[in-house]
Amino acid sequence: MSGRERLRHAAVPFAVSLLAVFLACLVGGLFLELRGKDALHAYQVLIERGLGNPGQRTETLKQMAPLLIISGGLAIALRAGVWNIGIDGQFFVGALLCGIVVPELAGDVPRAIVILIGAIAGLVGGLLWAVVPGILRVRWGLNEIITTLMMNYVALNVTSWLVKGPVRDPERVAPETKQIPLSDRLPDIPGTSVHIGLLAGLLVVVLVGVLFRSTVLGYMFTALGRNRRAAIHAGLPVGRLTLLALLLSGAFAGLAGANDVMGVQGRFSGNWHPEYGFTAFALVYLARLNPFAIIPFAFFFSFLMVGGQSMPRRADVPTYYIGMLEGLMLIFFAATVALERLWSRATRRAPEDAPLAIGAASAAAPVSAESDAGDGAVSAPQNTALSAGETR
Amino acid sequence: MAAGREPLSPPTRTVDVMRWQFGQTRSQAAERGEGAYPLPADAAHPSSVAASGAPIVEMRGITKRFGPVVANNHVDLTLREGEIHAVLGENGAGKTTLMNILSGMYQPDAGTILIRGRETKIATPADALRQGIGTVYQHFTLVPNLTVIENVALGAEPGFLLDLAAAERRLAQLLTDFELNASPHTEIRHLSLGQRQRVEIIKVLSRGSRVLLLDEPTSVLTPVEVEGLFAILRRLRANGVAVVLITHKLEEVLDVSDRVTILRQGRKIGEIGPEVISSGDRAAIRQRIVEMMFGGAPAEAPSASARASGAANGSTLLALQDVTALGDRGEVAVRGLSLELRAGEVFGIAGVDGNGQKELGEVIAGQRHVTRGRVILDGQDITNKGVAACSRLGIGYVTDDRLGEGCVPGMSVAENTVLKMVTRSPFSKGFWLNRGAIEAEARRLIGQFDVKTPSTATPITALSGGNIQKLLLARELAMNPRLLVCNKPTNGLDLKTAQFVLRTLREQADAGKAVLLISSELDELMQVSDRIGVIYNGQIVGIFERAAADLEAIGHLMLGGRERERGVA
Amino acid sequence: MNIGGIDLDTFLTAMLATGLLRAVPLVLAALGEAVAERAGLLNLGIEGMMLNGCFFGFYAAYRTDSMVVGMVAGILAALVLGLVFGVLTITLRVDQVLVGIAITIFSLGFTGYLFRDLLGGRNVSADVHPLRISIPGLREIPIIGKALFDQQAIFYLSWALVPVFAFLLKRTRFGLNVRAVGENPFAADAAGVDVVRVRYLAIVIGGIMAGFAGAYLAVADLRIFTEGMTVGSGFIALAITMLGRWNPYRIVIGAVLFGMLRALGDGLQVIGVDIRTEFIGMMPYIGIMLALVVLAGRTALPSALGVPYVRGHR
Repeated sequence: MSGRERLRHAAVPFAVSLLAVFLACLVGGLFLELRGKDALHAYQVLIERGLGNPGQRTETLKQMAPLLIISGGLAIALRAGVWNIGIDGQFFVGALLCGIVVPELAGDVPRAIVILIGAIAGLVGGLLWAVVPGILRVRWGLNEIITTLMMNYVALNVTSWLVKGPVRDPERVAPETKQIPLSDRLPDIPGTSVHIGLLAGLLVVVLVGVLFRSTVLGYMFTALGRNRRAAIHAGLPVGRLTLLALLLSGAFAGLAGANDVMGVQGRFSGNWHPEYGFTAFALVYLARLNPFAIIPFAFFFSFLMVGGQSMPRRADVPTYYIGMLEGLMLIFFAATVALERLWSRATRRAPEDAPLAIGAASAAAPVSAESDAGDGAVSAPQNTALSAGETR
Repeated sequence: MAAGREPLSPPTRTVDVMRWQFGQTRSQAAERGEGAYPLPADAAHPSSVAASGAPIVEMRGITKRFGPVVANNHVDLTLREGEIHAVLGENGAGKTTLMNILSGMYQPDAGTILIRGRETKIATPADALRQGIGTVYQHFTLVPNLTVIENVALGAEPGFLLDLAAAERRLAQLLTDFELNASPHTEIRHLSLGQRQRVEIIKVLSRGSRVLLLDEPTSVLTPVEVEGLFAILRRLRANGVAVVLITHKLEEVLDVSDRVTILRQGRKIGEIGPEVISSGDRAAIRQRIVEMMFGGAPAEAPSASARASGAANGSTLLALQDVTALGDRGEVAVRGLSLELRAGEVFGIAGVDGNGQKELGEVIAGQRHVTRGRVILDGQDITNKGVAACSRLGIGYVTDDRLGEGCVPGMSVAENTVLKMVTRSPFSKGFWLNRGAIEAEARRLIGQFDVKTPSTATPITALSGGNIQKLLLARELAMNPRLLVCNKPTNGLDLKTAQFVLRTLREQADAGKAVLLISSELDELMQVSDRIGVIYNGQIVGIFERAAADLEAIGHLMLGGRERERGVA
Repeated sequence: MNIGGIDLDTFLTAMLATGLLRAVPLVLAALGEAVAERAGLLNLGIEGMMLNGCFFGFYAAYRTDSMVVGMVAGILAALVLGLVFGVLTITLRVDQVLVGIAITIFSLGFTGYLFRDLLGGRNVSADVHPLRISIPGLREIPIIGKALFDQQAIFYLSWALVPVFAFLLKRTRFGLNVRAVGENPFAADAAGVDVVRVRYLAIVIGGIMAGFAGAYLAVADLRIFTEGMTVGSGFIALAITMLGRWNPYRIVIGAVLFGMLRALGDGLQVIGVDIRTEFIGMMPYIGIMLALVVLAGRTALPSALGVPYVRGHR
C-alpha cells in the first residue's frame, strides 16, 4: 500500500469518530439554544477554561493521567473481545489498597520506592478485583458483563465499609485513609506543575500500543477479539487469553486509582467517586481501540472535564452537559460506524457471493456449561467499532 | 426394502382428504361446531383434488446466479399433485438453490413460476406458505425451547390471544397419524431428530400446504426413521400432495419416488418418469441415472504434471480405528469409520456434501471431538488431543470455511499467514513478535503461491476468495506438516489456480507427505489421487486404486449404491 | 416482643413494606427487560431509560402536582430512548452492548443537566397526592397487613402487571413470536413472523417498563429526584431478569429478596445491630453473583441474544 493509501486507510476511521464528535457537539449545542443558553459562548468557555490559561492546562494534563491509564487497560480488554464493565470497581480497590499501603511506608522508605510500591498496590488491587469475574467467565462461561457490573457495586460497598472502619485514619472524622505526606506524593514533572502520573499514563498507552503491535500476546488478543472461531481453529489458548485480558485491564484500572491517590488526592476518601469508567468507554471506542489515538482523545475528554467545571458559573450550563455530550458522542459514533460499514461494504470488492454463508456470529448461549467453546456475540465485541478499517 | 408401491389412485372421498389435511372428519367437526382449519381456496373443490397428476407448480427456464456462478441454468421443473418427485444431483448441481427459489428465499434472475396455471411471484417464505408451498429445510426451522404445539402455531394463529388448546384439538389427528410418540407439549429440544422432522412436516401441512419440499430429509435419520418418513410421504401422495424430495441418494429415489429430475452443474440433464420407474428394473434405471450424472468426458484434460504417479507404497502414517464423531447438530456424522493413510500418497475422499467428510477432516486435525474409536499418528495415539497438539505433531488442516474459521478479518495478509505459527521461532522470540520474519515469510509464500495482493499489509478481506484459499494452503505447507488435510481446497479457484493447487498437493505427496484431499470435484480427485475413498453416511463405502477407479463406479457409491450391485444387469 | 427498643411486629412490618416497595421498580424494569431479552435484545441502556423515567416523571409530577401526568411523562421519556436503541441495534445492526452503554452515559448526563437547569439542583419534593387503597380488615393482619394492603393504588397496579406479563409471554401470539425470535429468528422468519417488528415492539415494551419503573421510583416512592438516583437499579433488574430466566414470577422472587436485603440494612441499623450498612449493602450483589454461579448450567440465554438478524444468513 502506498503511503498515501495507507494514510487514507487510517484516516477513515478517525473521520468517523470526528464526525460523531462534531454531530454530538452540534446537537448538544442546539439543545442548549433550546434551553435558552448561548451555545457558542458555552463552547467558548469550555475551550478557554480547558486550554486557555496555564493553570487550566495543567489541570487538563493532570486529568489525563487516570484517563490514559484506564483507557489503556480497557483497550486491551475490548481488543480481546472481553467486556470489562467493572473498571470503576477495579479502580476503587486499587486506589484503596494504595491508600492503605503507602502511608505506612512513607517516611521510612525512599520516595521512589514508596511510589513504586504504591503503584504495585494499585495494580494488585485492580487485578484481584478482576479475578472473580475472570474465573467465572473462563470456567463456567458466565457472561462478564453482569459479573463485572456487580463487582462494581460490591467494590463500592467494600471500600466504603473499609474506609469508614478498619482502615480509617483515626485522627480524622471524615472517612478516609491516612494522608500521604506531600513529600511522598507523586512528584511533578520538572519544570511543570503536572505530576508524573501523566508520564505514567503516556507510558502505559505506549506500552499497550507496543503490546498490540509487537508482541505475541497482543497479536493473540487481536485475533481473539476479531474472530473467536478462527482463534479456536488455530489452536490459540482462548480461555487463558480471555482471563489474562480481563486481569490486565483490571490491573491498569487499579493503577489509575493509585495514580489519583498518590498524585492528586493524597488519600482514599469514602466520599470520592470519580467515575472514569463510562468516559473511558466512550474514549476507547472513539479512538477505535487504537492506543496511540487514545492520547489525543484523552486530552480532548480531559479538557472537556476540566473546562466543564467552569461552565456553570461562566456560561450558566451545568457540568452534566459534558456527560451528556459524551453519551451523545457515543450514540452518534454508533450511528456513523454503521454507515461506515455500509459504505465500506458497497465499495469493497466482494470476493464471491456465498448464498448460504454462515454469518460471523453464530451465537451459542454465553452463559453455558461449556466454558469457552462457543460464545455469542454478546460476549465479544466483534462489532462495528473494530471492523472496517481499524488501524493499529 | 420392498420395491412395491401403492398404485396412483386419486382420493375420491373428500372426507378422507379433509381428515388428512385438517385433522378431523367432517362429522366430527360438525359435532364440535367448529369450522375446518383455514384452507387455501381450492382445496375444498373435489375436482382439483381428484385429478392426480395435474401440474400444480411449473418452473420454466429458471436461472439464478450468484456472482460468476450460475447455480440454476434454465431449469424446467413440473410438480404434479399426488406425485413424489425426486430432484437428484450431486454437489453444485443447483438443487438447493432451486428449492430455495420455490420456498421464497431467493428470487430467480430469469424464468417464470406458475402455480395452478397462473404466473406468480413467490416473494418471501411467508408468501410461499400462503400459496401452499411448504418447505422442510435441512437445518430445522424449529424453535428448540418452544413446544410442538407452539412451533406449529408460530406465525399461523391469527388474533391476539393464543388458543393452544384449540390448535391441539385441530391437530390431534395429524399428530396421531404421524406417530409422534410424544406429548404435543414437549419442548422440541427434547425430541429426537426424527421426531423433529415430523413436527416440521406437520407444521407445514397444518398451513394447508399442497406442495411439500424436503431438502435432504434423510440425512439425519436412522434407517427405521427413514422408513417411517417414507410411509408418511406415501400417505401424503395418496392424498394429492405434491412431494418434492431433494436428495443425492439414489436408493431413496428408487424406493419412494415416482419421478426423478436429474440436475448437473446447474442444468437439468434429464427426467425419468413414472412409466420407467414403475417398470421395476432397478438396476437398469440405476445405471441410466449414474450415466446421466457422472458419464461423459471430463471437462478439461488435466495437465500431465499433476497426474498421479501411480500406487504409493509408503508406510501407514495415520490410522483411524472405528471412529465415531458427532456433527454440529448432534447427529452422527462419522460412523465407526476406519481408514489408513500412507505416507507419500494423496488419498482423495469423494462424496456428496453432508456425508461426514468435513467432520472426518476435522477429527483428524484435532478440531472435532471423537466419541468413540482412536486416531493413531505414526504409532502414537492422538485421539482428542486438540488442535494445538495435532498441529505440533505435524498435521496441517486447510479449512473450506475461509472467512469464518480460516482467517481473521481485519488482520493483514502477513498477520494471517502466521496465525497458527505465531508462537514458533523465528516469528516470535519469547515475548516479541518478529515482524521482519513474518513479513519475509509472507512475501515468500505470496511469491511462491502467486497470491494476488497489493502488499503484505493489505487487510485479508480485500483479497478474492481464491487468493485467500491459496494463502491458507500456503500457510499450512509452510509448517511442513507430515499429514495435510485439505477440505475443498480448490473451491472458488479458477482453473489455472486450481491446477496449481493440485500440483502442489501432488508434489507434497511425492516428497513423502500424506495428503487427504476432501473434494466435491470428482475430476480433481481422479486426476491427483493415488487412492480414492468414497464416503457415504459417515462411512467409507469403497476404496479405489487410481488405476481401477472409474467415475461411474465412484458416483454410484456416492449415491449410496452398494458395490455388489454395480454392473449387475 | 421487643428488640432494641422496637416492637418486633413493627420492625418486621417495616421491613416487609420497605422491601416490597423497593422491589417494585426492580420488578417493573425486569419485566420489560425480560420481554426484550427474550426477543434477543440485551438492553444495557435500561439504567439510562430508568433514569430518564425518574427525571421526567418527577419533573412532570412536580409541575402539575399530578402523579398520572408524571408517570406518563416518565414512560414517554424512556420510550424515546428505547426507540433510539431499537433503530441503532435492529435497523443499523450496531452492537447492542455499545449502544446500551452509550444510552446510559447519555442519560446520566442529560438528566443531571436538566436537574440543574430546570430545578436548580434543589431537592424539592413533588407534592403529589396519590390514590391510596386501603383494605379494611386485611390491613389489620399482623406484620404483613400494612405492608400488603395499605398502599398506593399504583403499587397494586404494578404487582398486577406480573401476571399480565406472564400471560403476555405464554398465552399470546406476540409472546410466542417474541420467544421464537430470540431463540431462532430464522425459524420465525420462515414461519412468517416479522422479526424486525417483533423486536421493535419488544424494545418499546422494555423502554416503557423501564420508564415506568423510574417514574415509580421518583414519583410514587421517593418523591424527589437526585442525580443518578437509580444507583444501578437498572442493571440489577437486568441481572434479576437473567437469574429469573425471564419468568415473571421468578423475577418477582428475585426482586423481593433483593429489595428486602436492601431494606434489611437500614432496619438493622435502626434496632442498633452493629453491622456496617455497607456489609449488608454488598449482600444483594454478591447474592446475585452466587446465584449466577449456582444456576450457571441451567441458565441458557436465548441463542439469538445480542445477534442482529439478517435474512438469508443462518
